[in-house]
Amino acid sequence: MDLPAYLDPGSGSMILQILAGGVAAVAVTARLYWDRILKFLKIRKPEEETVTQQEQVDSA
Amino acid sequence: MSSPIETSPRHDASRLEPGSFRDPESRVFYAGEGVYRSLSAEGLSDFQALEQTTFWKKFSGDGRIVATELVEDGSELPPGLVKESAGVLSHERIPFVSYPYEWPFSMLKEAALLQLDVNLAAIEEDMISKDSSPYNVQFKGSVPVFVDVGSFERLREGEPWVGYRQFCMLYLYPLLLQSVKGVSYHSLLRGAIDGISPAQMRGLVSFRDRFRKGFYLNVFLHAKLEARHGDRGGEVKAEVKKAGFKKELIVANMRRMRKLVAGLEWSPPEGVWVAYGERNSYTDDDAERKDEFVREVVRSTSWGLTWDIGANNGRYSRIAAEGSRHVLAVDYDQGPVELLYRSLRGEGDEKILTLTMNLADPSPGLGWRGQERKSLPDRGAPDLLLALALIHHVTIAANVPVSEFVDWLAGLGTSLVIEFPTREDPMVKKLLAPKRDALHPDYERESFERVLSEAFDVERRERLESGTRLLYFARPKGAGSPIDLTAPER
Repeated sequence: MDLPAYLDPGSGSMILQILAGGVAAVAVTARLYWDRILKFLKIRKPEEETVTQQEQVDSA
Repeated sequence: MSSPIETSPRHDASRLEPGSFRDPESRVFYAGEGVYRSLSAEGLSDFQALEQTTFWKKFSGDGRIVATELVEDGSELPPGLVKESAGVLSHERIPFVSYPYEWPFSMLKEAALLQLDVNLAAIEEDMISKDSSPYNVQFKGSVPVFVDVGSFERLREGEPWVGYRQFCMLYLYPLLLQSVKGVSYHSLLRGAIDGISPAQMRGLVSFRDRFRKGFYLNVFLHAKLEARHGDRGGEVKAEVKKAGFKKELIVANMRRMRKLVAGLEWSPPEGVWVAYGERNSYTDDDAERKDEFVREVVRSTSWGLTWDIGANNGRYSRIAAEGSRHVLAVDYDQGPVELLYRSLRGEGDEKILTLTMNLADPSPGLGWRGQERKSLPDRGAPDLLLALALIHHVTIAANVPVSEFVDWLAGLGTSLVIEFPTREDPMVKKLLAPKRDALHPDYERESFERVLSEAFDVERRERLESGTRLLYFARPKGAGSPIDLTAPER
């Protein structure tokens, strides 16, 4: 079970921790921004993700 | 060695600590003289995991985490628990609770380092504290103790350091403000229970500060990211998890933070250092006589809690400690309190708690219903109070009427050593100089003595050699054998 923390970690604060994590953070940062990079480079179309989500809902 | 925990039976008078409601898995309550914590099923399971760790044994063994035991007897829980209790812990009682807006710089820094050290050790064994609040640290004299045992939980895969933002708001930003900007954080922390937000901190610093150590990431970028992503809480959490946030990242961030905090320094202005070693406007004879007077009172019986208000360099707090179980040393000026703390910390003192506070504007009840943080007397009224070289500051500089001040002291139900410098005293003259002549007609020896003897049984009076300062020892009304103050003093 994934219990929510009683304290809000803050979304900006979570991203910051990845950016500030130094060497340990490189791969995580890359993965965090990978989708956006692909979209930016128009390798992945924005609607692709919507379709994927819809499929997941359907198959659930 | 006997257990430091007083396990008196918990009976009908058990009551919830009003400041401990934020985490529903863990709730502090009191019964008799004991301090207890009710844990939910999740809380209990986290505690059982905690007990197995080596860091728990190490930190609770050397006193850096408050002494704690799981109590078998689950009876007499206080009403009002949000989650059903699955277990109860018993904690060692901290002699006097204090808050970060009362701590000088080095106390806040020590608390911050303890918070990080506890977490760096915990994370090695896959545990972490779910928050980073300095209210989780208390002081036994000069020694910081981590008290929120309920805040440890098992580290969840893919979750970041949840307490990072809170650490910035309640530890890092206040320390940076004091250390780098020379701005005291006390009013800011007293003004907001959650501390200084990244956006507020960004507004308080200047552009060139971004080149200072720790500012760019923790202040500038933090505020920027928060403004951009502030409303995407759940979404970001999922993204971060999906990106594979890992333990090594938390460790890297905590280590970076520890290095930053350990490097922060603040020193009081030079004048404070000079005055710290001196005896203000006293002749040596006066100073010696005053020491003796205080020492005689202190040693006349064994006192529980002694407050030394207007403690300055702590000379009389140290004398008070000779005959008191605990001493509270309070001064308006953070400078001497900082220096006193440093020297007590160096000695490993566990008796004298140093706090900075304006006595004409003392800490009130704060937070939800004004009860999360308590006023000073609500945390433990004194058995003996020292008010030496203080009354002229409160009544002349802060304009509190003499009778009001004495009435406040009497309301504490305490015995009292009080010093009254007459209008001829150099310091009184200095305080009166900028005021109009007719002000403070109540600041006269005769009217002070009348007010004092109406509120207390005055047992002793002594005029110091130089003639402008008088010392009094008084007990609560009805508890002493009063002398006749209208008779000439010896």
